[in-house]
Amino acid sequence: MLALQILIDGFAISALYGLGAVGFTLMFGVCGVLNLAHGGIMVIAALAGWWVAADYGAGPYGGAAIGVGVGVVASFVTYYAVIRPIQRSRAIPAVEQEIFILTGTLLWGIMLQVGLDYLFSNNPVTMQPLLTGVVRIAEVRVPQNEILIAVLCWSVIGLLSLLVNRTRIGKQILAASINPRALTLLGFELSNIYLVVWTIYGVLAGLAGVLLASFLGASADNAGALTASAFTIVILGGLGSVPGSLIAAYIVGYAETLTAYLIAPTLRPIPALIILVIVIYLRPQGLLGRR
Amino acid sequence: MTIGATWRGAAAILFGLVALAGVARPAAAEDKTPIKIGIIAEESALLGKSIIDGARLAVADINAKGGVNGHQLELVVYDDHSSAADAVRAYQRAVQEDHVSGVVSTFISEVYLALEPWAARLKMPTITAAAASNLITKQVHDDYDKFKYVFEGWLPAPIIAQAVCDSSRDLFVDMLHMKTAAMMSEDADWTTPLDAAQADCLPKAGLQVVDHERFNPDTTDFTPIFSKIEAAQPDVIITGIAHVGVQPTVQWHDQHVPIPMGGNSGQATNPEFWKTTNGAAGGVITQTGTVPGVALTPMTLSVADEFVKATGKFPAFTGFTSYDDVRVLAEAMQRAGSTDPDKVVAEMEKTDMVGTLGHYGFYGRGDTYTHAMRYGPKDVTGVFMQWQDGNQVCIWPRDKCPNPMKFPDFVKTPEQRAAN
Amino acid sequence: MPGMLRSPLPLVLLVLVLAGGAAPLWLDAYYLGIFTVAYYFGVFAMSWDLLFGFAGEVNFGPTFLIGLGAYGAGLLNNGGWPMPLCIVGGAVISVIGGVALAVPALRLRGPYFGLVTLVAVLLLLDFIVIFAAQTGGEIGMMVPDVLSISAVVNYWYAFGFLVIAGVILFGLSRSALGLILQATGQDRVEAQALGFNVTKHKVAAFAVSALFSGLAGAMLTFYQGTASVDQMVDLSIAVQIIIAVMFGGRRTILGGVLGSIFLVLFDELLRPIGQLNTFVVSGVALLVILFWPDGVLGYVLRPREGR
Repeated sequence: MLALQILIDGFAISALYGLGAVGFTLMFGVCGVLNLAHGGIMVIAALAGWWVAADYGAGPYGGAAIGVGVGVVASFVTYYAVIRPIQRSRAIPAVEQEIFILTGTLLWGIMLQVGLDYLFSNNPVTMQPLLTGVVRIAEVRVPQNEILIAVLCWSVIGLLSLLVNRTRIGKQILAASINPRALTLLGFELSNIYLVVWTIYGVLAGLAGVLLASFLGASADNAGALTASAFTIVILGGLGSVPGSLIAAYIVGYAETLTAYLIAPTLRPIPALIILVIVIYLRPQGLLGRR
Repeated sequence: MTIGATWRGAAAILFGLVALAGVARPAAAEDKTPIKIGIIAEESALLGKSIIDGARLAVADINAKGGVNGHQLELVVYDDHSSAADAVRAYQRAVQEDHVSGVVSTFISEVYLALEPWAARLKMPTITAAAASNLITKQVHDDYDKFKYVFEGWLPAPIIAQAVCDSSRDLFVDMLHMKTAAMMSEDADWTTPLDAAQADCLPKAGLQVVDHERFNPDTTDFTPIFSKIEAAQPDVIITGIAHVGVQPTVQWHDQHVPIPMGGNSGQATNPEFWKTTNGAAGGVITQTGTVPGVALTPMTLSVADEFVKATGKFPAFTGFTSYDDVRVLAEAMQRAGSTDPDKVVAEMEKTDMVGTLGHYGFYGRGDTYTHAMRYGPKDVTGVFMQWQDGNQVCIWPRDKCPNPMKFPDFVKTPEQRAAN
Repeated sequence: MPGMLRSPLPLVLLVLVLAGGAAPLWLDAYYLGIFTVAYYFGVFAMSWDLLFGFAGEVNFGPTFLIGLGAYGAGLLNNGGWPMPLCIVGGAVISVIGGVALAVPALRLRGPYFGLVTLVAVLLLLDFIVIFAAQTGGEIGMMVPDVLSISAVVNYWYAFGFLVIAGVILFGLSRSALGLILQATGQDRVEAQALGFNVTKHKVAAFAVSALFSGLAGAMLTFYQGTASVDQMVDLSIAVQIIIAVMFGGRRTILGGVLGSIFLVLFDELLRPIGQLNTFVVSGVALLVILFWPDGVLGYVLRPREGR
C-alpha cells in the first residue's frame, strides 16, 4: 500500500541525508568550519569505491571500504591544504577568516568536481548493492540494500553518539565545541582533537557517498547538489546541532518523498525549499541551533 | 596613499595589461590550405565523446583518400559542457576566430536550437549528430532562406516515435501479446514532440496508453515514478530518456519492477552501459543506430572495426552519425568545388550517400521536416536492440534481426502473468 | 579631495579608458568578444565589491541578483516585450529580489548571512530547473533579440556600460554613502552610536548592487542571445566574482575590473587544455587567496604607512 511505500522509501532517503548532514554540522560545531567541499568529498569516495570494485574486482564490500578510506584521505587533504593554512595565515584578518574558509573550500570543492569529471566523465555510476534481492514487507517490495543502508546509517550515528558521550576523546570533542579556549587553558591539545574530528568527518562523508552510490548512483556533477542539500538540512536543523540535523534530515526526506509520490516527481525539491525559506524568515538559527 | 606607491601601482597595472593584451593580438595570417571543420560537443558525456571520436575517424579516412579538392581536412574540437551558452561561444569562436567551413554539433536539442540562429546569422553549414527536436527542422521549413544552413543528421522526434510504434507493434503486440503501455520520459525539448507523436501512434499499433510520467532530468530517485507506473498496470514501459539512463535502469533492476522497458534510452546505446549499471541493463530495449555485428550497409562493419581499433570500444550511435555527418559536409564541399556556404548547402541538399547506418539523403524545402534525414526501409530506420548477457542484440527490424527477446526473471510478460 | 590632483590615478585611468575605447582598431572579433564578457563581469565584480568591501557584507549569492536580472529580462523578452524594456525590467526585478533578500538577511550575523545569500542562489537555481519548460532549465534559455550582431558594436555597449557603472560605483564608494557604509562595515556599533541607520544604508547598498548586477546580467543575456545558469547563476560564477575582486583587491571597486579581465583572459589562455581550465583557474585562485589575500591593487596600494 502506498502509505507503507512512502514510509519506507522516505526512511531510507532521510537516513542517508542524515548521515551526510551530521558530518557537516559536526565540522561546524566543533571546528567552526563550514566545509563547502563536502559534496566533493562524498563523490570522490563514491567514485573511488566504484572504480576499485569494478576495475579491480574488489566487490561491493571491498569497494565500499576503500571508498570510505578515500573519504578520510580527502578530508585530511582539505584540512591540511586548504583550511589550516587559512586559519594560521597572518595576512588574513581574523574577522574575515570565515569568509576565506568558505571561499577556499568552495574553490577546493570545484576543483574536486572538475577533476573527477575529467577522470570519470559525468556519467553516473552505481556501486553494486551490498545486498541484492528484494524483501516483501506487507504489500511493498523493498530492495534489501535499502534496508541495509538505513540500518547502517543509524548504527553509525549511534556509534558516534556513544563515542561522543562515553569515551574520553569524545568528551573532549564535546567540550571543544562548547568552549575551545577553556579547553586549551586546561592543557588539552586542540590540534589533536581537530585531527580526530576530521577523521570522523571523513568516515561519515565517505560512507554517505559510498552508500548513496549504491542506492541512487553518483557522478561528479552531483557534488555541488550534495553540498547544497547537506547545508540546507543543517541550516534547517541549526548549525552545530547534531540532533537538529537528524530531525531536519527526516523532515526534508519525508517532505520530498511525499511530494514525489503524492503530487509530482518533478516538484520534489520544492517543499524543502519552502520550509527553508520559512525557517530563514522566522527562525534563522534553525530548529535547534544556538544564535 | 603615497605618490610613489601609486606610480608603482599604475606601472604594474599597465605593464600587466599590455602583457596580457600581447596574448590577445590577432594571430599571424593562417595557413589557408587545410579546410577546418568544427566539432562542438561535451567531452565528458558518453554520447558527446562518441561524436568527437566519430568525427576524428572520418577526417582521418577522408584525408587518407586525398582530402577534399586537394585540401586536407582539419578538425577543431570545442567542449560545450552541454550548455547552450558555452556552445554559442564556441560556435562564435569556431566561425570568427578559427575560420571553420562547417560545424558538426551536439546531441542535445536545447543546445542545437541555441546554435541555430547563429548558424543563420553567420551563414555556416551546420549539422547535428543526434538532436531530435522537430523545432529544428520547423525553423528551416518556415524560414528557408534564413535557416537553410542548418541540417539534422538524424531522425526528428516525430519520426523516432513512428519507429517506436512500428517496432512496438511487431515486438510487443504481435510477439508478446501486450495490450497496454505507460510512457516515461525526461522533461526535455526532444521528448515533447516524441511523447505527443507516441501518444497518437501507440494506440494505432495496438497499445493503449494507461499512464504518462514526465520527470525532471535531474531526478535521482525513480522509486516514486516506478511505483506510480506500476499502479497503472501497463504491460510495457516506453521510455524517452537520454540525459538520464544509468540510475533509472539500475533502480528498475534493484527494485525488481516486473514490467519490461522499451522505447528510447540514449545511454543504453553505449557499449559501456552494461558495466556502468553493473549488469542491471539486462532486458532493456532501446532504439539505436546499429549494434556490433550488424551490417546495415557495406560500410557499417569496417567503420565499427576502425572505432574499436582507435578507441578500444564500440561507439554510441552518435559516433556513427557524426562520422557520416562529416562525410556529408566533405562530399558536399567536394562536389561544390569550394567552401562557399551557399554552394555547400546546395550540394548538401543533394546528398545521396551510402553511410554507416543506411542510405543518406535529406528532406527538401517542400517536405515537413526540411533538412532532416530521410526515414524509410531504403534510407535510414535505425534498429532496436536489447541488452542480453552483456551484449547488445539486434531485435528489429525482424527481417534483418530475427533474434529472440530475453528478459530477467523478475520481469513478467502477459503470458507469464497469465500462467501464474 | 586633497592629494588627488597630485596622484597619477586619474591619468592612469584615462589612459586605460582611451586604450579600451580604441581596442576595436587592433583586436579581432573574437577577442573583442572576450573583452565584452570580461567587462560585464567587471560590473558584476564592482557591484559585489560595493557590498562586500564597503558594507562589509559577504554576499555569496551575487549570482542571485545577476540571475534575476538575466532571466527576468529573458522571460520578458520571450513574452514579447521589446528589448530595452526587458533590460530595465530585469534590473527592476533584481532590485526587488535584492531588497527582499536583504531585509530579513541583514538581521543575521556572521556565517548565517553568507549562508542565507548562498541559499538564495540555490533557490533560484532550483526554481529555474523545476520550471525548465519556461526557463530552459540547466541547458539555457534563448532570447529572440540580441543587442547586435556586430562584435564591435557589442564591445562598445559593454565598454560604455562598464565605464558608466564604474564611474557611478566608484563615485558612490567615495561619497558620503560610501563613507557611511565603510563605517558601518568596520564598526557597526559605533556607527549606530553616531546616529546612522545602519540597516537602511546597507539595504541601499544592496539595492545599488542589485541594480547594476541585474542590468549587467540582462545585457549579458542580450549579448549572447541566451540566458544560462552556468554563465550567470551557478555558484562557480559567484566564486569567480569573489576571486576577481580578491585578486584585484577588495575595497577598491576598480580592482574588480582588473581581476575580471585577468580571469577571463586567463580562462581563455587555458582553453587548449579543455575541461581542466576550471580546475587550474580554481587552483590558482586558491593560491591567491592563501598567499596574497589583499589582491594586486591592495598589495600595490598598501604602503599607507609612509605618509
